[in-house]
Amino acid sequence: MGRIFIDLLRLNRQFAAGVVLLSLVTLFALLSFVSPYPPNDSYVVPPDLPPSWSNLMGTTSRGQDLFWLLTFAIRNTLLFGITVAVISRILALVIGLVAGYSGGLVDRALMSINDTFIVIPLFPILVLFYFVMKDHMSWGLLALMMACLGWAYDARLIRSVALSLRTREFTETGIFSGMSMRRILVEEHLPYVLPIVFSTTMNNINWSIGFEVTLSVLGFTDINTPTVGVLIYWANQHTALVAGIWWWIFFPVLLVILTFIGLFLLAVSMNEHIDPRSRLGRSEG
Amino acid sequence: MNAPVLEVSGLRAYYRTSAFGIRREVRAVDDVDLRIEAGEIYGLAGESSCGKTTLIKTIANAIQPPLEVLAGSVVFNFRDRRIDMHGASREELRDIRWKRLSYIMQGSMNVLNPVRRVRHAFVDFAFRHIGRSKAEFLDLVRAHLRRLHLEPDVLDAYPHQLSGGMRQRVTIALATVCRPEFIIADEPTTALDVVVQKGVLAMIHAVQRELGSSVIFVTHDMAVHANLTDRLGIMYGGRLVEEGRTADVFRRPRHPYTAHLIASLPRLGDAAPKEGLTGAPPNLADPPAGCRFHPRCPLASDICRREAPPMTELAAGHRAACFHSDRVSPP
Repeated sequence: MGRIFIDLLRLNRQFAAGVVLLSLVTLFALLSFVSPYPPNDSYVVPPDLPPSWSNLMGTTSRGQDLFWLLTFAIRNTLLFGITVAVISRILALVIGLVAGYSGGLVDRALMSINDTFIVIPLFPILVLFYFVMKDHMSWGLLALMMACLGWAYDARLIRSVALSLRTREFTETGIFSGMSMRRILVEEHLPYVLPIVFSTTMNNINWSIGFEVTLSVLGFTDINTPTVGVLIYWANQHTALVAGIWWWIFFPVLLVILTFIGLFLLAVSMNEHIDPRSRLGRSEG
Repeated sequence: MNAPVLEVSGLRAYYRTSAFGIRREVRAVDDVDLRIEAGEIYGLAGESSCGKTTLIKTIANAIQPPLEVLAGSVVFNFRDRRIDMHGASREELRDIRWKRLSYIMQGSMNVLNPVRRVRHAFVDFAFRHIGRSKAEFLDLVRAHLRRLHLEPDVLDAYPHQLSGGMRQRVTIALATVCRPEFIIADEPTTALDVVVQKGVLAMIHAVQRELGSSVIFVTHDMAVHANLTDRLGIMYGGRLVEEGRTADVFRRPRHPYTAHLIASLPRLGDAAPKEGLTGAPPNLADPPAGCRFHPRCPLASDICRREAPPMTELAAGHRAACFHSDRVSPP
């Protein structure tokens, strides 16, 4: 695993760029632990100061230092993405592997649920969810909801691989030797689908962060927990652009774009790594 | 004389599918009887799609829908117990598999999971059947590999790092590590070149002699049968058409199909061009009436078109299903 990582860094420029970008973003998020100001306090610095050496990213109209506020925001946003990805990956793996391996009625039942989730329009559902929950809406609840909506595509993908694995000789030999279904899935099939899952995980984090930002900007989430989207929401509430406080919008957007690009590059390079033909072409050329 | 290790009687296994209101029934194995004695290598020959693999899958009870067993029984008489493969509980089956009965699957080079090291294949498939600690088990595996002239280092390799012949040997080692009493080998030498094939055959033979196991060996390669097997069964169109000691079958085939199979082997000094059989193997979803070989048989007469010939004993231990077995010309 370590060697693959080093090889990828050396040979795959996209991967290297992705790793560098994400490391920077992560480092920035880690700075929140040494922040001099708690995230929800306001008027701790003079409001509306442009970026300067004492306030690197300027200050907001609510008297917060944008640099330190943003470290909290990106930390929450990243955590949100990772939480959604982990929960939805578990769902997708279990459902995809079981459906592909079992086939028949189990497969059809699971896949009809799966297809239902694929065709459901997510945005109206999430907005509706906000209006139902209103004051109970929290960061964790939204993550759980997104995870429950975000597994379907990958479950289908994993199922398609599992379908072919089921007919391979090592599966048949496993069944013959008396391995239980759980052991076959975990020990024989899971290692096969993990690289695919890794690649789709990046996409899934991107997707959930994008959704979270969208919902937050519109105010359909818990607006008291600072995330990148919530930051932009407050900037809009204070008509930052009209007032000329451009940095309040610019830095959150910049940061979220860097995160996106980093994750996207990782996903693309992993895709390439999974396909042995393009991998060989790269390491030889 | 002891009871035979394996008794198959009246076995009938069909693939039954039903889609869009159309029912299809492929009669892959029809009324097969056979007995295999302890310590014997039994060869099963026949062209592609004649039901060889289906027969041994049914024998090993490794069947999955749409394959169904309609009639007949498969009974193994192991040293200390008798087991009816299709009447036994799952626990009983799990208990005998690998330990007493092992199965080298077709395309067995792919038995090793490409994303896991070879060691894991041994642990996954055989570990629980041996009932020892992990370290002891791995020592056992290493000793077994050494006995088969394989480097124990292969355990740490990924399957793609081994050559085809190596993988095949590892698979055979995997199937024999628990010292089974009965080994089912489905085309273990197909897709190997003759040099590697020879090594693999020698290995199977050595294992068999060491363990005293019985073996069913399936291949369409008659030359391999001539070299390896003690007795030989010929299948055609889902039926066993001839069975006898390998030497007898080669010396004096009693079924025209067998005669053709043997005649197709190249021989030193024989310059005459080989003649193939006309026609194609029967469609098992709609087999011809009577003898299934009659559309391609040079000896076919009226009775062959009407009735299916029964398996009859023509000489000691030599059976064939043909009305004209006395007219079959020896090669």
